[in-house]
Amino acid sequence: MSIKKWFEIDLRELILLGLIVAMKVVLEQFSFGPATVKVGLGFIGSVLLAYLFGPIWGAVGGGISDLIASAIFGQQGGFFIGFTLTAMVAPFIYGLFFYQQPVKIWRIIVATLLVDLIVNIGMNTMWIHIMYGLDLKAALIQRAPKEIIVPWIQMIVVYFVLQSVSRVKIKK
Amino acid sequence: MSKIIIGRYIPGDSIIYKMDPRGKLLVAILFIFIIFLANNWLTYGIIALFAILAVAATKLKAKIFWDGVKPLIWLIFFTSVLQLFFTTGGTIYWKWWIFTLSSFGIANAIFICIRFTLIILISTVMTVTTMPLEIADAMEWILKPLKLIRVPVDKIALVMSIALRFVPTLFDQTLKIMNAQRSRGADFNDGGLIKRSKAIAPLLVPLFISSLETAVDLSTAMEARGYRGSKGRSHYRVLRWSKVDLVNLFYLVSLTALLIIFRTH
Repeated sequence: MSIKKWFEIDLRELILLGLIVAMKVVLEQFSFGPATVKVGLGFIGSVLLAYLFGPIWGAVGGGISDLIASAIFGQQGGFFIGFTLTAMVAPFIYGLFFYQQPVKIWRIIVATLLVDLIVNIGMNTMWIHIMYGLDLKAALIQRAPKEIIVPWIQMIVVYFVLQSVSRVKIKK
Repeated sequence: MSKIIIGRYIPGDSIIYKMDPRGKLLVAILFIFIIFLANNWLTYGIIALFAILAVAATKLKAKIFWDGVKPLIWLIFFTSVLQLFFTTGGTIYWKWWIFTLSSFGIANAIFICIRFTLIILISTVMTVTTMPLEIADAMEWILKPLKLIRVPVDKIALVMSIALRFVPTLFDQTLKIMNAQRSRGADFNDGGLIKRSKAIAPLLVPLFISSLETAVDLSTAMEARGYRGSKGRSHYRVLRWSKVDLVNLFYLVSLTALLIIFRTH
């Protein structure tokens, strides 16, 4: 399959992609949960991108959302291309599991754990290591507690979100 | 709301405001890589001096930059402390279980503190002195080489400008929907985990449906105005390089040269 075919998309979808990207940027500004474990809502945007547009355009949308967010709000901790890559990989992984598939609990569990492991624990720790020259072990210890708790909360949210969004899709 | 619409941009009138956003973005991106050339006290001093000069050149109040660092101050502190005890080498002053306090550790902790602060300062200079629309244009320019591997950069640029245009609108809408649901008793900040997760659906579904409607309306409007794909279109908003950008370029080149000369090899 040629690259051109991967990127085929019509105007209405392209604009919806822009709007979902904007939605992701807005959701990133909100978080919920008690003060000890704040869960940002940005991952809902990634799930929506993946569910509606699949791995390829989902990844593109994720990348754009990172760029737009840093253009408007500034990147906390500086511009770094690694985090843009991270923002692309999460919808890509979700897309492999959710795009054009029925909502299943095992899909949600596997996808969320994979994203947490590859993206949050793996890549993001790596970027911080590269950016600030931190010791990898110390950086992992610092991040581990949050990354062990948060995915389980995310799974519950993803389940409810996918269920309600799939209903909207069928109606249209 | 107004805070969201203009983002972090603060109007001003100094040399940095006159620079081309593409040049500023390049410097902000490359600064993170250049900072790695610093590996001793002298080079860290030089790069800190350059960053402070950049901050001073904006002629903005120090508080604006402090606001950029403030939310991350605990993260910086905590990270430095962890580095302090996990870095080994040099003279060892104190040792207990896996924690060691060594001369290398102390130096490393201080370097990391400086690195964090400088990277945040430079990207604050970037976002505070450049309008979001200009930053997006600069990003589009940087993405252009991807055309060579047939990535549809024009489509990406279209998505970018639509997203940028609709962030304030959607933000406004989200707050309105939240208030509307609250007026009927929805609670977004209370109850157990499952209850809270369920509360997100009444927020998300109306937002999603209105986005679907906007997408249909906007695509019809664009097609009615003659949009037939990004090929063969002209640009109304054009970025132009000026003499001031040479200053910016000179800044980056001389900084890199100084760091390469004075770093420990």
